Amino acid sequence: MIKIENLNIHLSEFNLRDINLNIEENEFFILMGPTGAGKTVLLEALAGLIKTKSGNIIIGKKNITKLPPEKRGVGIVYQDYSLFPHLTVLENINYGLHFHKIDKPQAEKRLNRLVEDLNLSHLLKRFPLNLSGGELQRVALARALMVNPSVLLLDEPLSALDTNFREEIRAGLKRLHKNSNVTFLMVTHDFAEALSLADRAAVMNNGIIEQTGSIEDIFQRPDSTFVANFVGMKNLFAAQFRDTKALTGSIEIELGHKPANSHGYIAIRPEDIVLSKESLASSMRNSFRGTVTGVLDQGLYYEVDVMVENVTFKSLITKSSLFELGIQEGIEMLLSFKSTAIHNF
Amino acid sequence: MKPGNFCKLVLLTATGILLVALATQGFAAPKGKVVIFNAGSLTIPLAKMEKAFEAKHPGVDIVREAAGSRKCARKISDLKKPCDIMASADFTVIDTMLIPEYANWNIRFATNRLVLCYTDKSRYADKINAGNWYKILTKKGVVWGHADPNADPCGYRSLMVLQLAEKYYKKPGLYQKLINSRPKENIRPKSVELVALLQTGNMDYAWEYRSVAVQHGLKFVELPDQINLGNYKYDNFYKQAVVELTGKKPGTTTKKKGKSCTYGVTLIKDAPNKEAATAFLQYMLNPEGGLKILKEMGQPPFIPCRVPTAEMMAILPAELQKLVEIKK
Amino acid sequence: MRSKEPFFWITISCGIVIMAFILIPLVEMMTAPSFAMLKETIKDKDVVRSIWLSIYTAGLAAIISFVFGTPLAYLLARTEFTGKRLVESIIDLPIVIPHPVVGIAILSVAGRNHWIGQIFSDLGIRIMGSVTGIVVVLTFVGLPFYVNAVKNGFESISPRLENVSRSLGASMFSTFFRITFPLAWRSMLIGIIMCSARAISEFGAVVIVAYHPMIAPVMIYERFEAYGLKYSQPVAVWLVSVCLALFLILRILTLRNKQEA
Repeated sequence: MIKIENLNIHLSEFNLRDINLNIEENEFFILMGPTGAGKTVLLEALAGLIKTKSGNIIIGKKNITKLPPEKRGVGIVYQDYSLFPHLTVLENINYGLHFHKIDKPQAEKRLNRLVEDLNLSHLLKRFPLNLSGGELQRVALARALMVNPSVLLLDEPLSALDTNFREEIRAGLKRLHKNSNVTFLMVTHDFAEALSLADRAAVMNNGIIEQTGSIEDIFQRPDSTFVANFVGMKNLFAAQFRDTKALTGSIEIELGHKPANSHGYIAIRPEDIVLSKESLASSMRNSFRGTVTGVLDQGLYYEVDVMVENVTFKSLITKSSLFELGIQEGIEMLLSFKSTAIHNF
Repeated sequence: MKPGNFCKLVLLTATGILLVALATQGFAAPKGKVVIFNAGSLTIPLAKMEKAFEAKHPGVDIVREAAGSRKCARKISDLKKPCDIMASADFTVIDTMLIPEYANWNIRFATNRLVLCYTDKSRYADKINAGNWYKILTKKGVVWGHADPNADPCGYRSLMVLQLAEKYYKKPGLYQKLINSRPKENIRPKSVELVALLQTGNMDYAWEYRSVAVQHGLKFVELPDQINLGNYKYDNFYKQAVVELTGKKPGTTTKKKGKSCTYGVTLIKDAPNKEAATAFLQYMLNPEGGLKILKEMGQPPFIPCRVPTAEMMAILPAELQKLVEIKK
Repeated sequence: MRSKEPFFWITISCGIVIMAFILIPLVEMMTAPSFAMLKETIKDKDVVRSIWLSIYTAGLAAIISFVFGTPLAYLLARTEFTGKRLVESIIDLPIVIPHPVVGIAILSVAGRNHWIGQIFSDLGIRIMGSVTGIVVVLTFVGLPFYVNAVKNGFESISPRLENVSRSLGASMFSTFFRITFPLAWRSMLIGIIMCSARAISEFGAVVIVAYHPMIAPVMIYERFEAYGLKYSQPVAVWLVSVCLALFLILRILTLRNKQEA
């Protein structure tokens, strides 16, 4: 649906280099990356609001690289929703109709459906000035979808909302996507959002794309240290590979398969590490004895750092488990994880 | 000492001090500011005179304000602006507007005559001459003007030239026809402003004094003496021209008769710096000083300068009397 | 800043000094002429004509500034380019240049000795001593005030609104008229007021280009020179009163709209 070929963008202080991306029709695609990675720049380039230096953007079968924004059929919802303050909610939603030839009954049908789906009927005569964040967002979505774009770009649409309602709104967004035939491309910081909404995703850093793939691939099988760090794989170690084993520091870790390369990295998610006092009667191939070097309160969870020989592993554990196991700094613990939990690259 | 003798001593000493003071006053160099209100057409000659005089008397600062001569007089009589010397392009302005309340005497020091100025960029510049000027001015598209008669003598003199032309060339209705071809927008309060309009090409022809034309390097058409107000022999012909001007208050008018251009100068009665002003006049009316400069700049001076009557000669300051003769 | 502390009193005193500085000479001038004098002055056709000339030439200058200045203001608000600072300084030049110099400069270009003046002359357009010339001068001195006011107005509107409008299918033209203009019109009005105010009071530049037809400030000066304070003050009073009334009406109109919104 969206094909980005070798896109290069030169801005005064920032460059996007050799961006290649393939997004399927009706996919919910998520763009992630640290601040300043270039996500918004890429979004605005897709919308035609930023000039590109070289490369192609193809939507469907049309090469839209040289087209002005109004001819692209690409909608955009900004983080602050950017509703037109001098128009009512209804006028905002119907704004695009001035420029698209849709016959009246069809337009009315679409309007009614959107208003119902997004629960806006009681807001139609109001002005944006007095609406809440959630209401603004729904109007912005209705406005963008009213003209039936082929692609909808969303720039962190949920980050300005209360965390309490995020799940609800996330579900609403997912429903909206399913009920339409529009390709969604969304930028987000929030991993929970990415995991629950995305079909596929890409991670950007410093103007290039680091990794593209299914959301699972990115989180479980990052193929670079940057992505691994970014997605929160905190146990990232350089290692030598011999046969089916990985050697890091002075530890030997069983991988369960033979890697293709002779040296590289291994990464393990903190959640996949199990802490115990005695050996577990399970099939975890890797089990090490280590000393607790740190107990860090992360709010909902505790991070426990355990040093095995000269390698420090970070694990996540609930508060109750912490007290149950009587974990404190200095005590000895058993640290175990499955071979399948290890990602090597 | 006896009281009577003491008093005499005091009186003597006081007189002595006074005499010394007066004596030193007489010998002291003139200094301070001298304010001159002068006609616009005298600007360039007076500037040169100012330079020469200030070089000889570095303590003096001459400050000049140029305007139409009638406006100059009004500044003195109505606005009561402080002024030492008034130099007018028409001596009658001093006679009618300043004497006797603001001035006592009037020295006539130079003449002038009116010419029609233009540049080589003016329309029909290659065709115009003394015989066809009045036809060219009324041609369509020709932009010509003169000074405001109510402010500047050059203004009413220009109108008089046009009236006299009607009589001289024996073309009845010529004056009105000429006036009709000159809209109000082509009038400027000071005749010298017209020079800038000619030079930038905003105006084709302007009525100016011959001296001003020479000083600014403009081309000009010389007119017959009978109509150019330059020869006092034709005063009887000149007085046929009559122009109505605004009076002292808005709404009142006064009539002016044609007369040859004679420039006059006077010392204002309440002059703040009589001494330095008189010293300057000494220089200005000297045939080797100011009068020489006037001659060089195309403005024929009276050598010597004139006053009309013996009574007026008597009230002139002593230093100036020797530079002036009695002649009507 | 709490009231009754020294900082507060200092700000109040400075305010009072400034108000007095502005008001005292103006009140003196406005109250000097008698009612009879004022009535007599306004009956003078020349006075009425010159005040009307002042108003409508200033209005024309404001309209021209509006038409040509708005696109420039938009460009300056929305784009960055090398030499932008230079362009902005050039726009501010008319504020800095002494007024007679402005008049002389315009006169030099308008005469037939300059190629532009030659073109005007061939087309029959007259600058010296004409309403056209006056409007040219007033536009010259008033433009910077309009452009700067409107540029600020555009800068305060988020470009994202325009981006969204375009993404919904609107061309740049449609976006400007449907989104930008409705949000910026108040700053345009302020710009027009500033420009007109500056234009109406211009003297030094106009008097060089056109003595006749006579705008009000020239008439005030001419009357002062010829007849003195007594005859020039009433014209000044009428001019200031008419302008005050006009600007007040304009401001009230905009205030009412703000409350409606």
